Amino acid sequence: MSKLSPRGATRQSMVQSKNKLKDSQPFSLAQHLRHHQSVLMESFARLTLYPLATVMTVLVIAIALSLPGALFVLLKNVESITDRWEQQSVIGLYLFSSLEDTEALALSHQLSSRADVERVDYISKEEGLRYFEQSSGYEDILSALPENPLPIVLQVIPKAVVSLETLPGLETLRADLEALPQVEYAQLDAQWLQRLASILAFGQRFIYGVSALLLVAVFLIVGNTIRTAVESRRDEVMVLKLVGATNAYIRRPFLYMGLWFGVLGGLCASVGIVLFSWWISQPAERLIALYQADFELLGFNLNNILVCIFISAIAGVIGAWISVGKHIRDMELQ
Amino acid sequence: MEIEFQQVGKKYESGQEALSQVSFHLQQGEMAFLTGHSGAGKSTLMKLIMMIERQSYGKILIDGVDLRTLGAGSIPYHRRRVGVVFQNHQLLFDRSVFHNVALPLMISGAEPEQIAKRVRAALDKVGLLGKEKFNPQALSGGEQQRVGIARAVVNRPQLLLADEPTGNLDPKLSAEIMNLFQEFHRLGTTVMVATHDLALVARMRHRVLTLNKGRIVNDGGFG
Repeated sequence: MSKLSPRGATRQSMVQSKNKLKDSQPFSLAQHLRHHQSVLMESFARLTLYPLATVMTVLVIAIALSLPGALFVLLKNVESITDRWEQQSVIGLYLFSSLEDTEALALSHQLSSRADVERVDYISKEEGLRYFEQSSGYEDILSALPENPLPIVLQVIPKAVVSLETLPGLETLRADLEALPQVEYAQLDAQWLQRLASILAFGQRFIYGVSALLLVAVFLIVGNTIRTAVESRRDEVMVLKLVGATNAYIRRPFLYMGLWFGVLGGLCASVGIVLFSWWISQPAERLIALYQADFELLGFNLNNILVCIFISAIAGVIGAWISVGKHIRDMELQ
Repeated sequence: MEIEFQQVGKKYESGQEALSQVSFHLQQGEMAFLTGHSGAGKSTLMKLIMMIERQSYGKILIDGVDLRTLGAGSIPYHRRRVGVVFQNHQLLFDRSVFHNVALPLMISGAEPEQIAKRVRAALDKVGLLGKEKFNPQALSGGEQQRVGIARAVVNRPQLLLADEPTGNLDPKLSAEIMNLFQEFHRLGTTVMVATHDLALVARMRHRVLTLNKGRIVNDGGFG
């Protein structure tokens, strides 16, 4: 809006005539739909006019998207394998050595009545010593000690089995048990799973990061292609401005062009990921068979494909928007 | 459409003054020629009316509305009321004559049947009805000029602006083009034609505004 507009009695009438100006030819909903439909078709037709440039842009987008897509499939499968990989969980409670047997037994009974506990195995100092002698081979050293140094251990078997899903709950349970006054130290026997969980968390972050970077690459690719397209249609942009087209109207075919690039790029990326999953599925299945695991590989399903195309389409439109808005504003009539 | 310039000037950043102290009043339905040597400011004056450029000082009123009060968002709607034939914004060669003429209607979302009807009417007026499917490149210079005029009038503008519309045409074709503008004037459109073809201007017997170094040095009679 011009800063020069005079303030005063005439302003009201000017505002009115400006509104009259704008309302002179309003677009109805039907007109909008028809216009958008025809722009959608025309922008596709225009892509086919330059097949080589179009194919190259689409392929670059597809390659940029298939890397995070393939990583996503990989992560999904690893998560799924570990989800099925359930094992009985055990929380070992090492009691203070000052504790009497009777007190320890009472605690054992008390814990086994908890709702989240399946059962509690009581391992006395003597049993512990026997286990230790059998497994470690340090019999001589132990027998040289004046007294049994081992504490009473309660092996708590929770109702929940260990898996990635139950891990946080089990960790809370372990902390609760360790807080008991009789317990010196509590250990959840799920170290490998804890490590895996942190590797997976790392993997997820990594994929998000890579995806974000590659989405930016898609913005740039589409933006650059659209900039060239705007430049090559400079005459048309000028004539449209001259006959009174709004910037939104001039922008529209280019935004649809970005949409098409996004949709086609996402589609190609999906095809690529599906083919890639199929290609690696054979050796992967052989590997699974060797471990005699009952597990089916997860591919890139229809849902994933639709999400991939959707994200790519949005990226295409945003890339086009960033590029075209600036260029059309900069192109002034002379 | 009514145009009023009040002490309008246009200075460029280079310091060059393209227009200075220009005042005139063009009534609704009036036809006028704008003459002067090249560089006298004819094109600048028309660009100010089209809001392609903004004046440095003074006031331009179109139907009583001060153009300075119109923001960037209103410019397209302002331009839709004006039909223009400009030398450097000619036809698009990637589409047919029909689609060139249809542009002003398409941007305002007219119905397809309405567009077809109006484009044919406009082409009929300039005598090119049979050539709607041609590519403009296949037409002669005079025919291309007439396609440009059809595009300018297809939206039934209230004001018709033409900048050197007979530039490269021979005298016979020039006279034909001028007669076309005169017809639109008779139908009630305000018409302003910039030209340096003084002989033609003299024959037409309309108001003549003469610019010299950005100033109006003569306003009135013909010739």
